[in-house]
Formats: sequence, C-alpha cells, structure tokens
Amino acid sequence: MQLQIKNLLPTYFDESRKNNSEVWGKDLIFNSGELVKIVAPSGSGKTSLIHFLYGIRQLFSGNILYDNKDLKNYSIENIAAFRKDNLSIVFQDMRLFSHQTVWENLEIKRQLNPFHTPEKIQELCERLGIGDKLNSICSNCSYGEQQRVSIIRSFMQPFDFLLLDEPFSHLDNANSEKAMELILEEAKKRKACVLFVDLERVEFFPYTRILHL
Amino acid sequence: MNPSFKHIKPLLQTDGNKTSRWFSYIGLCIGVLLLLCSIQMFVNLQSLLRQNSTRKNGYDFIPVRKAVTNETMGNAELNMFSKEEADELSKQSFIDGVAPLIANNFRLQLSAGRVLEFETDFFIEAIANEFIDTVPSSFIWKEGDETIPMIVSSDFLEIYNVFAPGYGLPQLSEATISSLVLTIKCFDRQQNEILFKGNIVALSDRINSILVPKTFLDWGNTNFGNKPVTKASRLYLKTKDANNPELLSFLEKKNYKLNKDKTRFGRVKQVLQGVFTGLGFFGLIVVILALLLFSFYLQLLIAKSKDNLQLLLTIGYSPTWLSSNVAKQFIPVYIIVVLVALAITQILQWSFHHFVMYNRPELSSFIHWSLLAVTMLLILLSGITNHWLVKKLLHNFYKQPQ
Repeated sequence: MQLQIKNLLPTYFDESRKNNSEVWGKDLIFNSGELVKIVAPSGSGKTSLIHFLYGIRQLFSGNILYDNKDLKNYSIENIAAFRKDNLSIVFQDMRLFSHQTVWENLEIKRQLNPFHTPEKIQELCERLGIGDKLNSICSNCSYGEQQRVSIIRSFMQPFDFLLLDEPFSHLDNANSEKAMELILEEAKKRKACVLFVDLERVEFFPYTRILHL
Repeated sequence: MNPSFKHIKPLLQTDGNKTSRWFSYIGLCIGVLLLLCSIQMFVNLQSLLRQNSTRKNGYDFIPVRKAVTNETMGNAELNMFSKEEADELSKQSFIDGVAPLIANNFRLQLSAGRVLEFETDFFIEAIANEFIDTVPSSFIWKEGDETIPMIVSSDFLEIYNVFAPGYGLPQLSEATISSLVLTIKCFDRQQNEILFKGNIVALSDRINSILVPKTFLDWGNTNFGNKPVTKASRLYLKTKDANNPELLSFLEKKNYKLNKDKTRFGRVKQVLQGVFTGLGFFGLIVVILALLLFSFYLQLLIAKSKDNLQLLLTIGYSPTWLSSNVAKQFIPVYIIVVLVALAITQILQWSFHHFVMYNRPELSSFIHWSLLAVTMLLILLSGITNHWLVKKLLHNFYKQPQ
C-alpha cells in the first residue's frame, strides 16, 4: 500500500511554514516496509499531521491519498473499515477507555479484526512489563503503563501503516527501547510502514528515511 | 467477522436517568393500552350494532320518505322523490342500491267473497324484486293473466287478526291466507270496472305495503290511470350498515325521514364512535409523548457516553454497526412494554365479553387481529426511530473534531 501527501498544510498555519518544512507543502510518497522518522520541535504540527493522516481532522489544504484514493472522498463507513484493516495508531494522549481494565481495552480493539490470539496479548504485555496489570482499571495505571497499553492496542489488528505520535513520551529509555523492539517486530510481520513522529530525543529508531517537519 | 457487543455494552452509561427511563416505559405502556383498547372497543361497537336490522345477504334495507311540512302539504309532487334524487342517493358510497316504491294511480277495490265479507278501497305498490325479502317463483304477472300475485306485509295480517274477532270475522294463519281468493276491482278513467283475482303468495317482514308485480302496476297505471308513474313517495335503500353515522347524517341533511327503529343505534353509535376515536387519539398522543421522552433519555445516554462512543469510532468501529447495536439494546424492553399492554387489553376484552356483555355471540372473547398488527407496527416504528436517532447522533460525533 502507498501513502501520498500533496502540498499538505493545516489551514490554521501560515503559508510561510512551507518554506522551512520537509513535509508541509511538499509532495511525498511513503511505501510499505519503510521506517520513516519525522522530527519536529513542539508546536510544529506533529499531532496535526498524525490526525490528518488518520482522518480524524480535516482542517488542512492539499491532499492525502492512500493507494491513490483521496482521504477526503472516503465515506464515514470506509474510514472506519480502513482504520480496522489498514491503519493503526498510537496517540500521544493514549485515548484508552479509562474505566475499563487493561484487558478490556485490548479486547475491544482486538475484536474488530483479530490479528493476535488472547494468549498473545498476555505475552505482549509481559514483554512490556505490564503482564500483572491486565485486570487493573486503566485510570488506576500510571501514564507509563497506559502508554504501553496504547502501544500494544495498536498491534491488535492488521495494518499497512502504523502512525506513532510521541509514543514514548511517558517512558524511560529502557522501556522505550523494549517497546520500539516490539513495534519493529510487529511492523515487520505485516510488512508495514511506520511513521514515527517525535521530538529529537529518540535515537534507537532505525529509520530508513528522516524528515523535518 | 462482526465484533461482539458484550464488551461495548458497559461503555454505555445507563446507570443514571432511571426515573426518566421508567417514566417513558410506563407512559408508553399506558399510551399503547389506551390505543389498543380504543381500537378493540371500536371493533366491538361495529360487531354489536351491525346485527340490529333485517338483513338479506349481509345488507340492510331501509325505507326513506320526504318529510311532509306545512309548505309542502298541498303539493304531493314536492313530497315525492324524483329520478334525480334517487340517482343522487345511489351515488353515495355508503348506499349499495336504491329502489322506488311505485304506487297505483287508479282506483282499486278489494273484497274477499263469502269467506270474509268486506269490501274496501285500497292501494297497491311495486318495487324491484331484489328489495323484497320473500319472493316466490309465482310472483309474476303478464298481460292477459287474470290472477294477480300479491305480497302483503306480515304486520297487516297481525293487525287484521287483532280486529277480526270484534267484527265477527275469522282469524287467519299465514298458511290459510295464501288459499284466500280475493277479488280486485280496478276502475278506469270512465269508472268502468275490470275484475281480477288476487292471491297472496307471500308475507313480507320488510316492506309495509301490498306489493304486486311491477309488470302489473306499470300496465294498470298506463291503461287505467292514463300514464305510468315515475315518481315515488318512498324509496328503499340497500346498505351494508343502516346504523352508519355517515348515512344518517346524509339523510338528515337532505331532510329525508326514515324508520327510526331500524336506525335507533345509529346516534348512539355516532356518539360512542366519537368517544372511542377521541380516546384512540389521546392514546396516540400519549404514545408519541412516551416515544419522545424515551428519545430524550436516549440522547442523554449518548451524550453521557459520548467520550466512549467517540473513542470506539476513532479506533475503527463502524457507526452503522454501533448505532444499530445501541438501538437494539432497547428493543426487548419495547417488545415487553407493548406486549404487556396487549395482554392487559386481552384481559379487559375477556372481562368485557363475560361480565358486561354476558357472552353475546356477536362479540369475541379474544382481541381483534388488527390489534396484533398495530402492536407489530409500534414495535417496528420504535425500533426504526431509535436506530435513526442513534445513527444521527453518532454521525454527528464523527463530524466533530476528536
């Protein structure tokens, strides 16, 4: 699958942003299997970019095309199906069901289009150090734990593109590295493209391409 | 593979608003009950009042005449029905046929020979055979026949048998009356007598008159009375229901008089129908209000669960699947509520039949099938409106920035 962005810019950004960015206002193509790092300082529109690509905000000019089909032409049902089968995400703000347990959060996502067995969930959680938290209510978990749940949730489905929006902002280096290892494994299994948007600090992402926002 | 709703259900915050939810259920039950009871009573009323007049093949036959007023007293023509007036009546949807009762326009005398020694002037009338309740095959006359078959009102025989003993005359049974040979004297314009034999071939419960075949009357009116009679003082109406309020209103508007006995239930029916229509309408309003209240509850529930529902949509749940499943959660409750109302209506109908109407055969102890149809329709309607409402709300979430 191919992702193409053409002359993209948030409507609330000035045109001059295009001059210093390698993403805004440019025509770019991302293919399956690529590991793309997008480096961006605060306020440069990281989350906006991820939200535009995921189709939850439309406040942009230009075009986003998946396999040459413009995201703006997707119906509500098509977007839902696309998110279920082709596009996964780790939100910066986690977006978990705070009153449900860790297990329930993962199961709600897994049911849509199961990629892993329930046994595999346990294993993934063990690897990220939250194996004992499966029955804990999410709101009682720390931000670091919630972030790991959010990362594991993104593996519960098949995908061609994995969007990561500062996925390690609440994790220490050791846990971040473990999580990255898992992300790369899961992306490889699916031959997927990873679009990793972050501040400068993460060094252990073996990107095949780097862009400055 | 479709996801199971089991894990999604706890995300709907149904804990609050219990009072409003129960109010809407109770309101819905009362509204449906009122609606169903009104329909059932309407059906009962139709069944009860359709049985009260002389019927032939499921029809009522009622005579109408014009009211004789001070203004029309001197002019017999004004008190007769013209062909146009008869046509206007037959065009009405609630009238299935109209027949004029034609009278003689020449003088007649009747005597019964030695058995019954009397002689009297009298009248004869004729009407289309399909309007007569008893028409034997002998009720025909053609020019040259000396005997005229006659059909006499059974009321006349009853009246005769009441006064006969007082005058020293023998009382007659229905069987013996047909063996009587009557003498009919017809007078032409020059007062010449022409004699016929009369034979009573049947008695009629429906038509209060002395009927002869129409062929004889047309012939007599033309030959003895100068011209055939076209106007009639009485018309017989054939209708499926003599108590039909629409028919009664029409006749009243036209100032036509009719036999009150045959339509005595009409007014009561009109009033009761009005009452039950009003009650049914009230029930319908209660149903609508209850559905409205429930829709507010549903909107509140969705607003309270907005974050969870929005997140479900964000992670890839289909809005159509989600809305149909959220709406489906309430269908069992709706079915239970409506079925409870249906069961209460059945109990009420059974009690009404047994304790109020004492098992009258016109009524049934069971509710009418139309109530089941209305019940199904209500369940379907509430399901569709709920689904539509939830879908609309969820689609709105999609359009909002997340």
